[in-house]
Amino acid sequence: MVSKRFVLKRLLMLFPVLFGVATVVFAILHLSPGDPAVVIAGERASQEFVNQVRADLGLDDPLWQQYVRFLGEVATFDFGQSYQVNRGVAVSQILTDRLPITIELALLGQFAGLLFGLPLGILSAVKQDTWTDHLSRVGALSGISIPIYWSGPLLILLFAQFLGVLPTSGRIGSAYFVEPVTGLILVDTLLAGNLAAFQSAVIHLLLPVVVLGIYQMALLSRMMRSSMVEVIRQDYMRTARAKGQGSKITVMKHGLRNAFIPVITVIGIQFGSLLGGAVLTETVFEINGIGTLLVDAINRSDYPVVQGTVLVFAVLYTLVNLGVDLTYSVLDPRIEQ
Amino acid sequence: MSPDTTETSRRSFLQRAGGATVATASVASLAGCGGDAGDGSDGSDGSDGSDGSDGSDGSDGDDGSDGTTTTLRYGRGAHSSTLDPQNTTSGEVAKVTNQAYEGLIAFQPGEASLTESLATDWSLDGDSVTLTLREGVSFHDGSEFTADDFIATYRRFVDDDYEYNFEDASVYGPFTLGNWIDSIEAPSDYELSITLTQTYAPFLRNLAMFAAVVISQDAIEGDTNLGEEMVGTGPFQLETLDDANNRIQLTAFDDYWGEAPNVDEVLFLTRGQNSTRAQALVEEELDIIDGLDPDSMQIIEGSGTAENRTATGINIGYMAFNLSRIEAFRDRRVRRAISYAIDTQAIVENIYSGIATQADQPIPPALFGHNEDVSPYEHDPEQAQSLLEEAGYGDGFSFSLTTFQNPRGYNPAPLPTAQTIRSNLSEVGIDVSIDDRQFSDYLTYTSQGNHDATLAGWDTDNADPDNFCYVLLHPQTDVPDGQDWVSWDTEGFNTSNNAAWANSEYMGVVEEAQQTTNQEARAELYREAAQIAHDEAPWVFIDYADEVRGVSNGVSNYTVAAIGGPYLEAVEVE
Repeated sequence: MVSKRFVLKRLLMLFPVLFGVATVVFAILHLSPGDPAVVIAGERASQEFVNQVRADLGLDDPLWQQYVRFLGEVATFDFGQSYQVNRGVAVSQILTDRLPITIELALLGQFAGLLFGLPLGILSAVKQDTWTDHLSRVGALSGISIPIYWSGPLLILLFAQFLGVLPTSGRIGSAYFVEPVTGLILVDTLLAGNLAAFQSAVIHLLLPVVVLGIYQMALLSRMMRSSMVEVIRQDYMRTARAKGQGSKITVMKHGLRNAFIPVITVIGIQFGSLLGGAVLTETVFEINGIGTLLVDAINRSDYPVVQGTVLVFAVLYTLVNLGVDLTYSVLDPRIEQ
Repeated sequence: MSPDTTETSRRSFLQRAGGATVATASVASLAGCGGDAGDGSDGSDGSDGSDGSDGSDGSDGDDGSDGTTTTLRYGRGAHSSTLDPQNTTSGEVAKVTNQAYEGLIAFQPGEASLTESLATDWSLDGDSVTLTLREGVSFHDGSEFTADDFIATYRRFVDDDYEYNFEDASVYGPFTLGNWIDSIEAPSDYELSITLTQTYAPFLRNLAMFAAVVISQDAIEGDTNLGEEMVGTGPFQLETLDDANNRIQLTAFDDYWGEAPNVDEVLFLTRGQNSTRAQALVEEELDIIDGLDPDSMQIIEGSGTAENRTATGINIGYMAFNLSRIEAFRDRRVRRAISYAIDTQAIVENIYSGIATQADQPIPPALFGHNEDVSPYEHDPEQAQSLLEEAGYGDGFSFSLTTFQNPRGYNPAPLPTAQTIRSNLSEVGIDVSIDDRQFSDYLTYTSQGNHDATLAGWDTDNADPDNFCYVLLHPQTDVPDGQDWVSWDTEGFNTSNNAAWANSEYMGVVEEAQQTTNQEARAELYREAAQIAHDEAPWVFIDYADEVRGVSNGVSNYTVAAIGGPYLEAVEVE
């Protein structure tokens, strides 16, 4: 059983992490070239107008004052309003709208990775050094080695341009308008009872999920295999087999639980990188999650949106890792000590 | 009617190749070089030719058409950042707001001339403007249009004393209206009387700009969020703003005062990458697209399903010498020498692939006042060398050329342009280093006058020569006697004049033109100003870019417009 103290300790660690991330983001933004006031005011603006915009946004205050104000905003998760991307709209609102899009993509990518990666890894371990194993290892190595910004366009070329069977961008066909309830397009289309829209969403999400999933699958199958191979060689496995248990039961009952410990760590860490991968995937497939939001905001010097988005990434990453640690300690209670 | 595209349509090798560019462009945008499609603050209906992020909508074959609604699908490079015409300088926003809002005066579709809109008659006499307004016009919220709506619109934009003044109003507030209007009165519900701060001939054109459209007073003074709703009198009204999927759905407004739109619905769809947008047009998933570059035009050409249409743009691309910073540039012989040394014809023909024409003066050919007697500087390195020697720079000198990285409408290829300039100038002993910057950084850097020379450009706001001659080349501040430039830190200096040029003869002519209401007299003055600018060469005049659209064969009655629009109410879709 996980102790409350352990959870609390890990939750408290969230604060220094966020403080560090917030400080680094603030520093990078304010050290990088490009004055948001000039960008917001536009090419037509007089110097007087630019100065007015700068004053309105508090960008002419001393840097330390801006920093203190920013930390206050971070503490309350109120990042102000977007300068450019969605002018005048609260950053928290934009993130609320966009986050489910990324989460949906990441979860589907993770699911696809688990669905194919784990069985492949187990199979590879059990059938060690057979052609099945070799094939899966080559496949996994390729999956890990091909970056998303390469595999994405390649799949687009194959399935969208040449075969013409899948769309290349967006989350849903242009003529389907569904009331956003959860922000998760698959769920919302089902809630609306619009099966045609649901089908359209599935078809649209297929390629991006595959692209995200390939990497996950490859990594997980590699981890699962090596972890399983190690476990299979343990004495207790031999004992189990000596007691007359069948090979499959031994593997599933005794092997899996122990082999899962390092794999779950990888799953957790990878979920973080999955969010990072979503930045690339969303851009390649023109999906409007927080990945594209971040790229767009950086390009347009939209400080509040950049700050909010990066912090949300940091929180997500930290929480996922907390979840991993908790699962880890359930599987192996020694971890807590 | 939107065709259902379940079947994969004909694909040529060329089309496939076009699609292949998705990969490289996607990576480019991730590298922080993502374009700012349509953020070029113009108010024209379209393209600045830049790339956005990426993607396309291949052949999804599920456009959901139900066979009863005629839908026009307009593809563009970027989504609207707001729906409030008073909160933006972006032409991308204007494409949508122009469907739902109307100004008192409008541009004739496809031309720079003015026509009736919410005003049926007007006059400009000295500093006094009177307008007769159209009766029987309804806003989308059902309220009736009167003079009070324009006054509320104006006050929201520029009047700090107004309870409903908009604190995030764009620079177009003062630029378009605030700087020029002294007072407004409504003698009756359908009459407006405006007193200007001075005689200002371009004023009527300002009233036709997208930023000057009329918003319902009820909406302004009510609790309507004008960033996400549109309450105008235009032919289309907002049905859905779908930021999550970068699209906007408009439907025909039943009570529109004019001729009813020919389509029931307009969808503004975002396809960030030029080539994939073109591919979607060819695949009949879009009906009209903008933001085309030579590569994407090639995809459309010969596709059999769509065609490229062009119109003369009202813009200019140029290289400005910063006279405030580099002493050599204060000598007109040096400026002229550089104008002779740079092969602008090669830039336009080879780099811009013929979607632009060679420039020779600040006023584009589509505008009155363009001087037909002026011709571009010919590429003549010998003449350049001779002028440099005469000016005492025979051994050359060096300067840094600042440029933005991503394509803009008036400059489809900034880096190759800069490289050509560097190469041309090295032939006459001038050493150029290229300083390329991301657009926001570029704007900041040049607005502070840090550039030695810069590539720059301008899309018209109001299709008036004043918008080029006064805005871009007049210092709008005091100039020391006997000097034809000003220091960048002079109080009140107009930083849009990125050459810091201040020629008193030119300034006098432009000021006189601004206060001359007789059209032919004005045109003559601008021709004179154009001649001076050409001869004095504060810029190297590079190009006037065409407006290019991709149009499906199923679309008729679409007029490509360089100012105003896009005029979608007249469009018919098969």
